[in-house]
Amino acid sequence: MPSFLQIVCLNAVFWPLYIAVTAAFSLAAVPYVTLFALCRRDRRRTLRLIRMAIRHYGAAVLKCGWPLVRVKYVDHAPQDAPPFVVAANHRSASDGYLMACLPYECIQVVNVWPFRIPWLGTVAKIAQYLSVREMPFEEFLSKGSNLLSQGVCVISFPEGTRSASRAVRSFHGSAFRLAQRARVPVVPMAIAGSEEIPRRGTLVLRPGRIWVHKLPAITPGDYKDLSPFQLKTLVRQKIETHLRRVENA
Amino acid sequence: MTDSELIQAVDAAIVEAFEIAPERLKPEANIFADLGLDSLDVVDLVAVLQKKFGVTIRDDERIRSVRTIQDLHQYLLTIQAEQRKS
Repeated sequence: MPSFLQIVCLNAVFWPLYIAVTAAFSLAAVPYVTLFALCRRDRRRTLRLIRMAIRHYGAAVLKCGWPLVRVKYVDHAPQDAPPFVVAANHRSASDGYLMACLPYECIQVVNVWPFRIPWLGTVAKIAQYLSVREMPFEEFLSKGSNLLSQGVCVISFPEGTRSASRAVRSFHGSAFRLAQRARVPVVPMAIAGSEEIPRRGTLVLRPGRIWVHKLPAITPGDYKDLSPFQLKTLVRQKIETHLRRVENA
Repeated sequence: MTDSELIQAVDAAIVEAFEIAPERLKPEANIFADLGLDSLDVVDLVAVLQKKFGVTIRDDERIRSVRTIQDLHQYLLTIQAEQRKS
């Protein structure tokens, strides 16, 4: 149980650092990316650069809470090659940053509100994140398939909203239908420990350890006979089973 | 088809299409919260029911208010009654 002093110290250090890191990345990345875009005139490479910058930004944010908040990434199947659709359980507002652990070019499927965050929302739009509830489903499939065909991984949080506890809520099937349309593997990601960092309804971080487990991919061969409902149920079961194993250990 | 035969047929269609255990299809079970279906699954469910029962329900506004298994049974019973009248 973290002490009150630990909580105060963590938040007193984290939030100023978070603001500083965000400002530093913005000041450095914007002119660099702009110059790159003007000189290279290669849209694909510019977008790859932007997504790489987002990943490094996320990784820097994850370090702002060290040592009171530690993030551990475990890849249970390093041989799995992208692109894939990633499906992660969702416990906290910090989960989006945790995706910086993945060493791939990625975009995230978001549920409206991230696009409303000042500045960060704008960057997410430029990086072609997909706001699934703000577009027709066919458009989501089309854009998602296009990204996957370019080698970009699509990360989704199929619960659609934070569970704010250890329970895994029911999954929406959009991302799984996208994987089936694009015929790419689905990678389940199990996130443990983030539910307190921060808790739902507050920005106060609590010390703790977050584990991000990348599980073995479910290949198109594995799911060829499954309906979208069956595929999402399978992925949800795998995440739930893994979380039960690691959290009860 | 009698009412109870229709209800059994509806449940069987759901079990077959979604591999949901029959014992979970309680009348009060919410198709979204309890059974895990989402809006896209409901589109698939409508297609299954249309094919199975030879009815057109995709453009019927009443399907949008279905929330529980009992709601679904009641809706299809109503459709069957309307078909009998016409």
